[in-house]
Amino acid sequence: MERARVPRPPTRRFTLPNGLRVLLAPNAESPTSSVWVWYRVGSRNEHPGITGASHWVEHMLFEGSPRYGKGEIDRAVVSVGGGLNAFTDSDFTAYYTTVPKEHLDVPLDIESDRMTRALITDREVERERTVVLSEREGNENWPEFRVEEELYQLAFRVHPYRWDALGRREDIEAMRGEELRTYYRRFYGTRNAILVVAGAFAPGAVEKDVRRRFGPLPDSGEDVAVRDREPAPRGERRAELEGPGTTPYLQLGFPAPALDDPRTPATILLDMLLGGETRMFAVGSSWGRSSEHPTSQLYRGLVDPGFAVRATSEWRPRVDPGLFTVQAQASPRTDLVRLEKEALRLLARLGTRGPTEGEMREARIRLRRAASLAYEGASRTGFRLGYFSVLRSPEFEDELFRALLGVSRRDVRDRADELFRTEARVVVTYRPTAGEAR
Amino acid sequence: MIDRPDPLRIEYASGPDGLALVRQDPPAGAQSFSATFVAPAGWGFDPDGREGLARLANHLVPCAAGRLDRAALAQRLDRAGATVSQQCAPESAEVTIWGPAGDWEDLLGLLAVISLEPRFDSDDIARTRRQFAERQLREASQPGHRADRELLRTVFPAGHPYRATGLGDARSILRITRRDIVAFHRRRYTSGGGLLVATVPARREKLEAVVRRRFGEIGAGGERAPTLPPLRRAGGGVTSISLPGRSQVEVRLGGGSIARGDPRFPAAFLANEILGGRPLLQRLFQHIRERGGLAYHASSDLEAMRWGGYWVAQAGTSARNWRRVVRLLSEEVERIRRERPPVREVSRIRESAIGELPLALETTSDAHELAVEAAYHRLPEDHWRRWPGQLRAVTPAEIVEAAGAAFDAASEATIVAGPFGSDAS
Repeated sequence: MERARVPRPPTRRFTLPNGLRVLLAPNAESPTSSVWVWYRVGSRNEHPGITGASHWVEHMLFEGSPRYGKGEIDRAVVSVGGGLNAFTDSDFTAYYTTVPKEHLDVPLDIESDRMTRALITDREVERERTVVLSEREGNENWPEFRVEEELYQLAFRVHPYRWDALGRREDIEAMRGEELRTYYRRFYGTRNAILVVAGAFAPGAVEKDVRRRFGPLPDSGEDVAVRDREPAPRGERRAELEGPGTTPYLQLGFPAPALDDPRTPATILLDMLLGGETRMFAVGSSWGRSSEHPTSQLYRGLVDPGFAVRATSEWRPRVDPGLFTVQAQASPRTDLVRLEKEALRLLARLGTRGPTEGEMREARIRLRRAASLAYEGASRTGFRLGYFSVLRSPEFEDELFRALLGVSRRDVRDRADELFRTEARVVVTYRPTAGEAR
Repeated sequence: MIDRPDPLRIEYASGPDGLALVRQDPPAGAQSFSATFVAPAGWGFDPDGREGLARLANHLVPCAAGRLDRAALAQRLDRAGATVSQQCAPESAEVTIWGPAGDWEDLLGLLAVISLEPRFDSDDIARTRRQFAERQLREASQPGHRADRELLRTVFPAGHPYRATGLGDARSILRITRRDIVAFHRRRYTSGGGLLVATVPARREKLEAVVRRRFGEIGAGGERAPTLPPLRRAGGGVTSISLPGRSQVEVRLGGGSIARGDPRFPAAFLANEILGGRPLLQRLFQHIRERGGLAYHASSDLEAMRWGGYWVAQAGTSARNWRRVVRLLSEEVERIRRERPPVREVSRIRESAIGELPLALETTSDAHELAVEAAYHRLPEDHWRRWPGQLRAVTPAEIVEAAGAAFDAASEATIVAGPFGSDAS
């Protein structure tokens, strides 16, 4: 197999005695510096009663720590022109701050202060409860969110992937401050964290600074492994939702392998061929997927003939086995039965005929092109280094890249045949209710 | 190549047939290229009865062009590792290409073909019509979209280019023919009022030569800004739109505003940053989210365009709290109009706005957005270098004075859309 690799900036790596892994990616030309802290903690580490705790803790880490009172983190960063935010996934939580290069000490000080010592007071927990609920309600306004939440609830009966990272409404309403503090103390620690610094700085000086700030933190962070294993499904699972919306919406789910499964590269190729791209190696100036991929199989099979106005697929890299999903928004005057039939026909055909050699060739070209410009800018560098590190390691990106280039047409066909089985299928449909105000 | 790139400067050059051409250095170390063709082809130019034409044409432009049908064009872009995107607004329409810097000449050529020789194939038109029909439904039924649409309809009178969202309605979209689209494109995607902005690792002379070659066939045309009818006096009160079954109420307060060319713009910009524009520090976020816990999002926007503008203060909240949120939004807007902001607050917001300029130079795409903005508004070549000085010269008194004009009270309207139950009045 060829030794292809993603052009990544040189990185200095070290691990502190307390277990904190550190990656420094200096780039003297950058006008900024970007600091990312990735915790291998997400909604998969929760249990019923405290669903949404990871996301809520994410909010609370902006609400006070010993050196930064409420609102002071925001003020410290934004006042110097920086930007900051955070996001919570099922498998990880990430915090990032990008600042003009001369202010790198600001985010380093903040992250070292809140890594193990966030205050999470009852008063702030109470105030934030309604904000978290409001975030959830804003998402509920979208049928796509309701459908996906239902899909995962149906697909998983044992594993924590069955709830969304935002958590269940009932849990958000009932959770207590002490439960959030306990959760934080258990999992937020140096052993579960990865610190990435990218941009303009002197690596020697910053290494010294990082050791000084983060070295004294206690060796902490419980094992994040989840032992729950989802039993194999024994038949199709289905739900039909109704509510306000535009046109009928369909989402299909199929149990998919975990990231370290040898079938993963073929699954990713399948996602590229059906939906047009994979989030991990997407061509473009931003992270994420564009909505229109006219060369993708779903687009050609559902949008072009007029069954859908949008159609795509998604496989998300996950530590434990997750779902491969297909979603389609029907065209006006297309019914759900027809849309589902056409979508399933397309998936079945891929499992029998497989993709063409031309499609495989084009997919490999897209992969190479996407990889070539993946690391422009300090923020994107910090993101990618941290993302692949939290999944496994920076080199994992190369391993995956090479494996993707080595996937054959037959691998994809076999993968589709195995993946899109009727007895493993989960289907959620959404019918818009009539009579809305115009 | 550029020895010491300075992406904070733009450089005016000349394109064929009077096409305005603007060049910008990419950030140091950047490996990508970006170029945007801006045409005076926004939905403010939609003919009566053909509402949606500008946006439909703009959506179709990057579908297929020249000898490349949709599949061939998509394949060509994929092979180049490039993307094309489009954007439409009331005044203008844009097509942007992005890709590897080493291939910039070819990509610029592809942008010329896409912008100037779109095919408008019948299959693409039919598909786009279906997509627009669904988007129209979304605009009517999604609380945020619906509130945005109703606000514009309330603030701006019939015939005003900012009154619409450009999607048209079911009937107008069906009425639009391929001939309408072709004619609109021929009239408006031209050199007259057209603008090409390139963030490119090449000197001006080289860029001009390539543009002359690639855009040589551009048609001439004239830009004429429409006559704007005066804004209506909204008359106060709250317009509520009941959308049962949703979870959250979207609140919008808004009204007319000043144009970008108005000399008060730097002060108005700071007024908006203080009110709801500057992330995390702004007053709406602080009062509605951080102190009140009433909403996840609360912010304001100042849309200052060439012909005029509008402002919006917005938040999403529960059905129980929407009245309180309306009151808080209203109080804060009124406060920025009447009270001089404390010097310390002005200073913090201003230095934040100035300090973030380096963040806008991380990637070619980021820098390119600055260039397009400056070029579209015909700002000086060193505008972004002078911008910090302009902001530092603004006084608190000027902020209050500018806020009075930028957050026009006479045309102010309030819209709430969402699930009220029996509490809609």
